[in-house]
Amino acid sequence: MKRLVSGNEGIFQGAIRAGASYFAGYPISPTSEILQQAALYSEENPEFRFLQAEDEIAAAIATISASLAGAKAFTATSGPGFTLMQEALGWGHVVEAPCVFVNSMRVGPSTGMPTQPAQSDLLQIKAGSAGDYYPIAFYPNSVEECFRLTITAFNVAEESLSPVILLADAFLSHLYEMVDIESIKLEVVPRSKEPLGSGQRLFTGTVHDKMGNVKTNDPGIYREWLRELRDRHDRVAEKYPLFEYLPCKNSQTLLIAFGITSRVISSLKDRFSIFRPIRIYPVLEKKLKEVTQSYRHIIVVEGSDGQFASWVECAICRKVMKVPCLGGDFKLKSIQNQIEECLKREET
Amino acid sequence: MMDRSYKELLKLRRFPHTWCPGCGIGSVLRNVAMGMKDLGWDYKNTVAVSGIGCSGRMSGYMNLDAIHTPHGRALTAAETIKTVRPDLNVIVLSGDGDLASIGGNHLLHTSRRNADITVFCNDNEIYGLTGGQAGPTTPKGTKTLTSSRGEPYSPIRLGRLLTQQAPYFYARTSVYHLNHFKTCIREALLWKGFSFVDIISDCIELNGRRLGFKTAHQMFKWFDERFHIVEGEKDHLQEDELGIAKAMTEEAPSPVEKVEVKPEIPVKDLKPFTLRELQEFDGTEGKPIYIAYKGKIYDISASPLFQGEKRMRCHIAGKDLTKDLDIAPHGEDLIFKFPLVGKIEG
Repeated sequence: MKRLVSGNEGIFQGAIRAGASYFAGYPISPTSEILQQAALYSEENPEFRFLQAEDEIAAAIATISASLAGAKAFTATSGPGFTLMQEALGWGHVVEAPCVFVNSMRVGPSTGMPTQPAQSDLLQIKAGSAGDYYPIAFYPNSVEECFRLTITAFNVAEESLSPVILLADAFLSHLYEMVDIESIKLEVVPRSKEPLGSGQRLFTGTVHDKMGNVKTNDPGIYREWLRELRDRHDRVAEKYPLFEYLPCKNSQTLLIAFGITSRVISSLKDRFSIFRPIRIYPVLEKKLKEVTQSYRHIIVVEGSDGQFASWVECAICRKVMKVPCLGGDFKLKSIQNQIEECLKREET
Repeated sequence: MMDRSYKELLKLRRFPHTWCPGCGIGSVLRNVAMGMKDLGWDYKNTVAVSGIGCSGRMSGYMNLDAIHTPHGRALTAAETIKTVRPDLNVIVLSGDGDLASIGGNHLLHTSRRNADITVFCNDNEIYGLTGGQAGPTTPKGTKTLTSSRGEPYSPIRLGRLLTQQAPYFYARTSVYHLNHFKTCIREALLWKGFSFVDIISDCIELNGRRLGFKTAHQMFKWFDERFHIVEGEKDHLQEDELGIAKAMTEEAPSPVEKVEVKPEIPVKDLKPFTLRELQEFDGTEGKPIYIAYKGKIYDISASPLFQGEKRMRCHIAGKDLTKDLDIAPHGEDLIFKFPLVGKIEG
């Protein structure tokens, strides 16, 4: 049955459908509702465990630890909390803990503008923790997609044996739409990792060989580990090349946008072609190259000062134009004006 | 002949270990393994968790599924594992810097939540792995790499911190007082709930030598001078005492305020007031303060919020407040505790 569902609830229900049995979090706008729903749900379903942690550091560590203990686990936060979670995110990649981190973005840095939407944590998802690692991140743009992509994120986590990031924004978190959640059928990947208490393994953030022996002065072992991580993530990411492409005949301009921005500019689809990456990272390099080559102008419309635009430029080896929506201002009018200015500049 | 079967619990294939000769950690690892062996704890029913530092390496030498967390996060990881897998025993093997400094917030909250885990803290009063910087437990006046004129601050008092509210189990022992050490380990492992063993241990290479000790044994003798064992059940330990402080039950909850149930007066027996008459009772000139709610009139003169004032925030005395109360942030039971004095006429 169709009913009004918020983005946050879509995410929570998606996690439950994916088989999540552990949530740890710390109150922060705009994802506090996920924390509250998890608390209520755990009261009625004792097999679902819940922790309101003392801070986001603990919430993230608990999420990774729950995954190691055998539970499908997730946490939800916003930019400032996500900054505190970076330590655990790096750890999760080394100890191979499948789980999901939800980051609903708001204007930053620091406390920023609570709670205005933004899309400026892209660099943070890619490189917020120390060292080299290759996270996989998805970004829905509707409540139904929040539900679907949360399940996808859990599946990708199980396949890649790593934390997966589900992005959203303050707008999407609090967006209510009519969705029939029960009718959506999606495949769920089960847990394959052996639970704790079945061996003599060492789960360590220190570089180690396959036996779990710590090896801190062998570059060969480190390189092999990193290559394996990259190959595994590339292989899994390739299975999920999610995007949406709305070509517009006669248009020589391609707009690239995602999340809330793609919803705002969807009314421009009769004037411009629109490409919406859903898998935000790794960047859809092949697809972007293929799509962009037939356009004279490429404009990236996003809620940051060109974070995704710089990734697109790297991927397609070509300059793109930027329309940043800053300070929570995602009004169609101001986006349109900026697009016109860009095109005018290009003509002269 | 000594029973050596505890060695099944150690990853001997990884020996020799990483610690310096004379370090107290070896003694901690061995005695914890012995205590576990006695109770039948092994890789099928136990998980060990460590943080970072010399002490953080302990879990890696145990023949169990072991978790080596980022710096300071051992307690959170251990608590979560116990939550998800209550069938497993969870022990934490870590150091004072990891547990009390960078992990201090988690120590406060994991102990507050009384997570059913056993924590062994190798308390050597120094950051050893990084070369000998002052730590949270370094005694005042100690010279270290980061306090060349002597540590200026008093150390954190783990005993006081962890025994502030029941239930708690806090043991202080030392690697030198071996029998006492073994007793503490066993009692801590058997304790249901959060138990913490503060093990005074030595770091001869990166702390002891700077303090003028030539051997680990000299440091042990120094522990013997500084501390003495207290026997029996204790509520709290003094800073020079080795012993076990424990309290089983939570303090008695504060008695709930008893609400007297007054016999209800039938509405027909209540004195009738018109709204105009009601307006008279607004608290001025020593008159009582009356308000109406759902057709009944209450004397709320005793309300501290109305005292001497005609109004309290948005509520006006001598008025029918039925509509106000429906949107007020408090419930109607707030009204019912005041004496019922009449009814609205008509």
